Amino acid sequence: MENSNPMVKITNVHKVFNRKHHVLCGIDLEVNSGETIVILGPSGSGKSTLLRCINLLEEPTAGSIEVDGTVIHAGENSNQRDSQILDIRKKTGMCFQSFNLFPHMTVLENIIEGPVTVLKQQQNQAIPYAEELLDWVGLTEKRDEHPSRLSGGQQQRVAIARSLAMKPKIMLFDEPTSALDPELIGEVVEVMERLAKEGMTIIAVTHEMHFARDVADRVLIMEDGSWLEEGTPEQIFSRPKHQRTRQFLTHILQ
Amino acid sequence: MENTTTDQQTPLILSGIPPEAQATLHGIEAKKTRYRRNLIIAFAVLITLMAGALIIIGLDFKFMVKWVPFILAGIGYTLLVSFLAISLACVLAVAGALGRLSLNPVLNSIATSYVSLVRGTPLLVQVYMWYIALPQIGKSLEDLGITGVQALFTLPAIPAGILALGVCYGAYMTETVRAGIQSIKIGQVEAAKALGMTNSQAMRRIIFPQAVRVIIPPVSNEFIAMIKDSSLVSLMGVWELSFRAIKIGRRHFQSLEMLIMVAMIYWVMCFLLQLVQEKIEAYMARGDRRAS
Repeated sequence: MENSNPMVKITNVHKVFNRKHHVLCGIDLEVNSGETIVILGPSGSGKSTLLRCINLLEEPTAGSIEVDGTVIHAGENSNQRDSQILDIRKKTGMCFQSFNLFPHMTVLENIIEGPVTVLKQQQNQAIPYAEELLDWVGLTEKRDEHPSRLSGGQQQRVAIARSLAMKPKIMLFDEPTSALDPELIGEVVEVMERLAKEGMTIIAVTHEMHFARDVADRVLIMEDGSWLEEGTPEQIFSRPKHQRTRQFLTHILQ
Repeated sequence: MENTTTDQQTPLILSGIPPEAQATLHGIEAKKTRYRRNLIIAFAVLITLMAGALIIIGLDFKFMVKWVPFILAGIGYTLLVSFLAISLACVLAVAGALGRLSLNPVLNSIATSYVSLVRGTPLLVQVYMWYIALPQIGKSLEDLGITGVQALFTLPAIPAGILALGVCYGAYMTETVRAGIQSIKIGQVEAAKALGMTNSQAMRRIIFPQAVRVIIPPVSNEFIAMIKDSSLVSLMGVWELSFRAIKIGRRHFQSLEMLIMVAMIYWVMCFLLQLVQEKIEAYMARGDRRAS
């Protein structure tokens, strides 16, 4: 882990919606290559917004975002800005709560869509790696199905494979298991876990406590757009410093 | 969906179902069969009554048959005008929808006024505008010193008709296409963007293909309406279907026969289009949860 050059560096990011909702209040975050970060916090605390700021699905109102050496400053207008944003998105995979697979394409077409359309690869060039990924998430037999034929857990695993097909440097997970039936959560978490073990840099917003406790290198608690507490899973779960952290954890752990 | 096609009197053999449940299932099946049978009877009676009425009022069928080839000769113009106009309308509709959704003030204002002006004026007025008012603009331009435009602005009947219909339907369809594009969930754009797609890539690869699926029924509607509105070119003296029928009917004082006949021809064309629409919809629906 070289602390000199973090994979993700977020500096003093603010986000204000509709001129009045101050959702992020000066967030700083550094994530090193290969690290797995879990962000916890009550709903509405700004976790998802922060995640969406990292790949610029939301434009920060102030501050700067740096992903693998590409920097975007909020409010700045430069000619290369658009291509820099695309550059960051190419290096960043994202999984959504609602999967957002493309319903008009088969599973395989979903996975090669990024490489073919964005990276301009030939179809037959992209297919072998897509099949490899499909095997890796355990869905080889669903290759030619449309997403609507798949269970939620299977859809989310395809969505992960779709993101990985772009060979991203970092993966963002935005509550990837929140829309799933309880019995389907395990298969998705298992894939995320393997991804973490293989050295992917991961930032996950999730209430999946097993993942936070056993897989994450660091856990951060967000409240009202600011960090409340940060530490190793051990520290956060066994001896949280803040009363609010304790309350929140007992609440979600019941 | 499955059992409606395979049930036809076949006894339901489901093991482990109590006899009273079995009886209920049979009751439901019998009800469905009865409904289908009665529906067919109702249609048959209705058609017979209509045919009977035509005979009672003394329709001259011989006269009708005699003029069929002449009337049908106009079908070429009807189809030519309709297909070219709907093609033009589709192009304008996509461009218009993108303009309506554009953040560029120039494009947005052009598209918005196009839709508003064209939807807000009668097609009849527009047809005349293209045919007999446009040459006047040509003349004014000539007077301003731009020579040679008069000929360009004086359109023959058929191109004028195609432009009038295409531009008019393009405006209505702009709103259809826009609604189709906006019906696609925001998550689809976000997923496309998260992969690194540009806005136009996301539109072409992800949004538009899904929007097309949504707008097939309303666009088919427009197409069917267009087939019939193509009769407006008869105003400019084009010998298409309805023009011929009306001419012959008037000349022989047998308008009823001619009008019924031409109405049937339009109806058959629209019916065929409807079949095509169903085929396209079925094709588009593959992978759709609702279809499975």
